[in-house]
Amino acid sequence: MAKTILIVDDSASLRQVVSIALKGAGYDTVEACDGQDGLNKLKAHKAHLIISDVNMPVMDGLTFVAELKKLSEHRFTPVIMLTTEAGEAMKQRGQAVGAKAWVVKPFQPAQMLLAVAKLVQP
Amino acid sequence: MNVDEVLQTFVAEARELLLGMEDSLLALEQDPADGEAIAATFRAIHTIKGSAGLFSLDELVAFAHVAETLLDRVRSGQVAVNGELIALLLECGDQLGLMVGQAAGETLAEDTAAAHAARRADLVAALQSHCGDTGATVATTAPATDEPSRLAAEEEVERAHNQAWHISLRFGPDVMKLGMDPSAFLRYLGTLGTITHITPLWDRLPPADEMDPECCYLGFELDFLSDASREAIDSTFDFVRDDCRIAILPPRAALGDYLRLMAEAPEGTDRLGEILVASGALTAAEVERALDRQRRAAPPRLGEILTQEAGVPPVLVQAALDKQAKVRDSKPAASRFVRVDADKLEELINQVGELVIAGASAGLLAQRNGNGALIEAVALVERQVEVIRDRALSLRMVEIGESFNRFPRVVRDVSRELGKDIELVITGAETELDKTVVEKIGDPLMHLVRNAMDHGIEPTEARLAAGKPARGRLGLNAYHESGSIVIEVADDGGGLKRDKILAKARERGLVAPGQVLDDREVFALIFEPGFSTADQVTNLSGRGVGMDVVKRNIAALRGSIDIDSREGAGTTMRIRLPLTLAIIDGFLIQVGGSPFVVPLDLVQECVELPACDQRAQPSHYLDLRGEALPCLNLGHLLDLESSGGRQNVVVVKYGNRRAGLVVDRLLGEFQTVIKPLGQMFRHLRGIAGSTILGSGEVALILDVPPLVQQAADQEARRLGRLG
Repeated sequence: MAKTILIVDDSASLRQVVSIALKGAGYDTVEACDGQDGLNKLKAHKAHLIISDVNMPVMDGLTFVAELKKLSEHRFTPVIMLTTEAGEAMKQRGQAVGAKAWVVKPFQPAQMLLAVAKLVQP
Repeated sequence: MNVDEVLQTFVAEARELLLGMEDSLLALEQDPADGEAIAATFRAIHTIKGSAGLFSLDELVAFAHVAETLLDRVRSGQVAVNGELIALLLECGDQLGLMVGQAAGETLAEDTAAAHAARRADLVAALQSHCGDTGATVATTAPATDEPSRLAAEEEVERAHNQAWHISLRFGPDVMKLGMDPSAFLRYLGTLGTITHITPLWDRLPPADEMDPECCYLGFELDFLSDASREAIDSTFDFVRDDCRIAILPPRAALGDYLRLMAEAPEGTDRLGEILVASGALTAAEVERALDRQRRAAPPRLGEILTQEAGVPPVLVQAALDKQAKVRDSKPAASRFVRVDADKLEELINQVGELVIAGASAGLLAQRNGNGALIEAVALVERQVEVIRDRALSLRMVEIGESFNRFPRVVRDVSRELGKDIELVITGAETELDKTVVEKIGDPLMHLVRNAMDHGIEPTEARLAAGKPARGRLGLNAYHESGSIVIEVADDGGGLKRDKILAKARERGLVAPGQVLDDREVFALIFEPGFSTADQVTNLSGRGVGMDVVKRNIAALRGSIDIDSREGAGTTMRIRLPLTLAIIDGFLIQVGGSPFVVPLDLVQECVELPACDQRAQPSHYLDLRGEALPCLNLGHLLDLESSGGRQNVVVVKYGNRRAGLVVDRLLGEFQTVIKPLGQMFRHLRGIAGSTILGSGEVALILDVPPLVQQAADQEARRLGRLG
């Protein structure tokens, strides 16, 4: 069965492009528009990997990951953070909540596939 | 779905974000300390930039990046918010809008495109100077390599004789807690080449009772045959680099590098040497020679690693960041939306329309059948259909605020241009209106707003001289009134000059000499095509220009516009539009055996026509509780033979006017699905459309506003005759 990837981003177009690329590579995808929505989606879907934006309305990416790590089913799910600000400070904050993988925006779909493939193979 | 379709999503999304950004910037202008507005502006640019990269819109990304950098500094308080900054960012928003338009396939004339490109270059410079950047300080992040020095020393270095890369991995204990699966990296490595040899190391594995099953204690020594570049192999471990010890040695690496690897291995030099020999990475002789050199040379510089690992005390950094996060996390909850294709909604509403008609037909049959239980059951179904109808229609209703949104910016820009101080007051932005109407009302509204600012509100000196506050006031207001939505554009300016308009109209022959007009009729003259284009009247100049187009656009939406104005006190333009264009609650009447529908919202009351007035003239007055109500006899108007019996009067109201429609029979309320008339019948005055009754009969829907108008005109004519 194909591995499922949850994409959390407030930009619908970004979600769709990433989703198309991932589906093309043989993954299943689920989309969520912010951290809160992401947590809701996780109640109904199992995700093998989560791709999440940092800067989002309602619930930002770091809070989302912090909440995620409190859930026994999802605490070991790898998370790729998307950001335009992959500075050390941001990475430190990510580290504190348990997010290690970063992809810097803007990126090409191929870059995203490469990053995903390192963590989960379809 | 393909990438082209997603591009459309991107364009719509980017436009929405830019609009939101404009709002935030205007809010910021009012309150420069508004942290949420700064964050929202940043987020808008940030999201657009992030998505644009996916579509290879490099120019857009580069431009957005500069703006984003500046906003980041604003956010962190390094750059102060002032009027200049906001003006700059607003213009950046405009340029981004243009670039998004280009991405959507809009093309610009070559010279305009060049002008915009030049403007963008200026803006970039301005943004950078605000940042305190000279523009030249683009950080060169490329790591300085020590490759040349290595090459120079190549001859002296003794190299191993293997063909494979050697990779030494010691995963950190927390790697699994961070969601990383060590085997995933090995599998990924397998896509870059062939792992020829792998030695798992579990030296760190504690006794079973001390072992934490969530920790990773494993290490690996790998030999890896691959043509991939060092960079590609190296990047495999990007996500775990910070927590793991990773050493990657290329084929034929210097023995010295292997020596360092062995010396730093937690398992001990000798143990690693054995592994390397066993896996075939090095020969026993090579290991021996390396160790020999170590004994001769100075001890390995372990201190290097220690300083690397020390770094900045992370505790301090974290404390500072936590504080920032708390400030930023207090964001208001956004409403949630589902994007639906407008065609799908259209189809749904059509189907609901059919359901309403089918329901009416079932109801009629049940009535005829006379079965009580059936009548009740059908009535229940009809009630449910009614609810579904309202819900379906409400899906297409959007808040008029969507149309009002762009005006704060327009008012700000135009008032600066004109050198007037004008305040915009928006009320009733939450009033809902059919989406198709909202889309079409934007342009006429824009025209009225510009006119009000340009010609309605006087220059500051004139206002002060007239004893008014220096700051002009422009109001946009929307509210529901008897089945219509009313949109008002009100200014507190000089008002229309009735006498001058009338004089001008007489001069142009629009009004016959001696004809008496009330204020409303006089003001309506400015909607005449070409009125006041030449020889402009003070304070009125330009008000006529394009007003005929405004009126035409509104009429096309089955709406109307009228004007209230008091000289010296201001003008209010009042647009009245039907709420929806699809299904209405109707009131069924009968004239000469044919059924007609009047929109129920417009019906005020029904009265029996007094016997003395029966079979009276085509039109006349009715004494309605002391008020003279002009009446139209529909039988005469439509040339239908009255079916006999006592007639009734349906009192309708549109705007401020009332009129009575004399009909043969009242048939009661009826859910009416409006079917537009064919092209041939569009010009018919007084008929708005048709509908299908439960019996399958077709009924025409009366267009009330022109009928009310006609009744009023007859009144005026009669008065004229009498006068």
